[in-house]
Amino acid sequence: MVGSYSEVTMLKGIARFRSAVLPGTFISFSLLAFAFLLFFTLYTSQDGSLFSELDNRIYGLLKFTLYQAFLSTILSLLVGVLLAWALAHQSHFRGRGLLVALFSSSLVLPTLIVVFGLIGIFGRSGYLNQLSMFLFDTSFGAYLYGLGGILLAHVYLNASFASRALLHSFESIPKEKYKLAKSLNFSVLERFLFVEYPALKSTLLSIGSTIFLLCFTSFAVVLLLGGSPNYNTLEVAIYEAVKLDFDIGMALKLALIQLSISAVLVVLSSSFRTGLANLKTSHTLIPWKEPKVLRVVQWFIIGLFTLFFVLPLIVIFLDGIGADFGCILKEPLFIKSLITSLSLATVSSILTVIIALLLSNARRNFTLPTRLANRPFAKVLDAIIAFSGNLYLAIPSLVLGLGFFLMYQKYDGSEIVWATAALLTANILMSLPFALSVLTPAMHKTAQRYDKLAFSLGLSKVQRWFYVEYPYLKSSLGYIFALAFCFSLGDLGIIALFGSDEFSTLPWYLYQLMGSYRTTDAAGVALVLLVLVLGVFMVIPRLLKEK
Amino acid sequence: MLKIIQYLLLSTVIIIAADKPTLTIYTYDAFASSWGPAPKIKKAFEKEHNCNIKFVGISSSIGALRKIQLEGKRTKADILLGLDTSIAQVAKKTGLFIPHELNTSKLDLPAPYNDDTFTPFDYSFFAFVYDENKLKKVPDSFEALASMSKEFKIVIQDPRSSTAGLGLLLWVKSVYGDKAGEYWKRLAPHILTITKGWSEAYGLFLKGEADMVLSYTTSPAYHMVEENKTNIKAAPFKEGHYGQIEVAAILKSSKKQALAKAFLAFMHTKTFADIIPTANWAYPVVKGAKLHKAFDSLHRPEKMILMDGVTVEAQRKAIVDEWLEAIVK
Repeated sequence: MVGSYSEVTMLKGIARFRSAVLPGTFISFSLLAFAFLLFFTLYTSQDGSLFSELDNRIYGLLKFTLYQAFLSTILSLLVGVLLAWALAHQSHFRGRGLLVALFSSSLVLPTLIVVFGLIGIFGRSGYLNQLSMFLFDTSFGAYLYGLGGILLAHVYLNASFASRALLHSFESIPKEKYKLAKSLNFSVLERFLFVEYPALKSTLLSIGSTIFLLCFTSFAVVLLLGGSPNYNTLEVAIYEAVKLDFDIGMALKLALIQLSISAVLVVLSSSFRTGLANLKTSHTLIPWKEPKVLRVVQWFIIGLFTLFFVLPLIVIFLDGIGADFGCILKEPLFIKSLITSLSLATVSSILTVIIALLLSNARRNFTLPTRLANRPFAKVLDAIIAFSGNLYLAIPSLVLGLGFFLMYQKYDGSEIVWATAALLTANILMSLPFALSVLTPAMHKTAQRYDKLAFSLGLSKVQRWFYVEYPYLKSSLGYIFALAFCFSLGDLGIIALFGSDEFSTLPWYLYQLMGSYRTTDAAGVALVLLVLVLGVFMVIPRLLKEK
Repeated sequence: MLKIIQYLLLSTVIIIAADKPTLTIYTYDAFASSWGPAPKIKKAFEKEHNCNIKFVGISSSIGALRKIQLEGKRTKADILLGLDTSIAQVAKKTGLFIPHELNTSKLDLPAPYNDDTFTPFDYSFFAFVYDENKLKKVPDSFEALASMSKEFKIVIQDPRSSTAGLGLLLWVKSVYGDKAGEYWKRLAPHILTITKGWSEAYGLFLKGEADMVLSYTTSPAYHMVEENKTNIKAAPFKEGHYGQIEVAAILKSSKKQALAKAFLAFMHTKTFADIIPTANWAYPVVKGAKLHKAFDSLHRPEKMILMDGVTVEAQRKAIVDEWLEAIVK
């Protein structure tokens, strides 16, 4: 079989890969160069306070930031593993696919809206306290504010996202292993330790580091639920340096501290191997049922988490439904913001998909032994590409925005053009790490599986794409598109410096309504945004589902 | 596809007629929004002076100042509108603004404010706002506030990101002086959370999360006029109320300084003063302006506490540090 294709085809193949890695490598170096330019722009626009002393408060903040990110990550993974475990063993119930898709939307839900939803349930006068007042005549009080609230919100946002990736790892375990475990009479714990845990390990590491980064740079959640400056993060200090003290040097220094700590984790999270692979949920059944006690436990976990996840969304829905939609939808600024948001989201998600494809393609060429893995520098280049794609998880969006703004000042141009470019770039950069984590393993697999066949058939690039790659990657691409689209829809970071009446997005408009007593309208707009995000996130991947 | 998107993006840009001069005003978003005072002011001033006004709304007034600083000499702004007197001194020190050369002695202000660069256009008083259907025992002083029951919670804004938050710090400092830190220690258990801006704090309050929120004595007017609700009230404090006077100034780099000066003068006319109360929910600075009848039922403090800008600027960092020290456990 191996001898059936000659040295010549092999060499031809390699020549083809060599040109195929060019776009990906180029983009990767541009990403790094851009990050450098960003920090350089900031560096040149400050006045030497870069080397001024950090006060003790900053060390305190750093300590708390690491502490809460660590706790949030551990808790999110714990809940994520439990949920994925329960879902993996209850693999055939009605609406399971929908539930899994809903859980994974947590990543793209606009944070500020979610936090207000959580407050509606768990807040001081939330439904939980109201219920307890009604039943037992006591209230749990303001338990939500403080470290507890931060952890709760972070688990809400990240555990569900983790569970989806972990669920895939559970499902990739060969059923034979389960059979073996049963014949050896393993207990649940033994089964988990010897059969399931080895399959989860690499996902736990990569997902864990991503979650850590997300919590490390968390801003809106920490400010609203933290309760006091005790519970602030480094990102808040950056905000303070930029906004109130106008100390760009300080902001830059804090951003560099944050970046250097995150860099280690970025390297970890770039090493997605089996990662999220393709996101289809397999329906192969294990031919026996779980013991009854376990089934009850699993159902309890699924039920409890579904309640935890869905109730805050219902609160947002109930809050918003009373708004006067006839009025909101007719408001010219709303229409303008909606159009801007949708156009930006469309363009940035298309670009994200293209860039992710090019980067993943370059990576698989550098890592597969049948391709360029044995060439000099292949390992280094692969690492660089992986790093560049994930780098922007570690750069605070405020710093990104500031950098853009300073560049706009330096290099002339119309504000609208710059604002558009800034928002597009920022959205692409933010979606890229997640897009790559989905696409890279999937593309790796198609190459592993079909390379020999494709070369022996002598398929052209176009043919190969249509007959081999596209059908296999379709669902991943749909997922990435939806992800980037929703990220872009919900973003409130970069727009803060560029937003104006002439250039407004939906979240920006929502924030403006909140800032001028218009809470009912704001709740209505929040509902529109939520429906939009959930709609896109649930529908688009389904349209492109593998048959 | 790209073409359509490009078109859509461009269509969101308002094309401004080129034959009239355009006055660009940077301000905070609520002022510039379509339901804020900006559209009415624009209409009135444009008619009088045959020009265009372009309001650029930025997330906060400090944000607007920072934007101008980042843009430096190349800024398109002619006027910066919406800073309060506590932060105006910071702006003045940048040297980016020129004197207004207006006589402001006849303005109707509850506290003297005479600055050669920044000139007032409206004012209000900071106050703790509550819902009278929910809060039965209303504190009438800072002392009463700190000695409320354990369950009583307030929500305030971070002085490092919000002018309201800074206002409260200055209010407490004016009342307690050297004992401000000690007072904050006593108040800390009642602080539910500290938000980035006024919006989040007020949102939490309206959701019923906190019993009181730091806002303005004029906030209840909004609920009366726009929502026909009379249950939202501001609590009068015996110690008096700290004021927020909102001011505007002309940029040195402006090429339309005559028009900009005309606008500052326009801020002191009755036309402008009539627009302010029910659009920006604050008091106008001109005597005899018409106030909506909802304002009659508001608590209007007789005296306004106000630290002068130079002192605020000199002590701001120390006051904020003292506050941090006191409430961080």
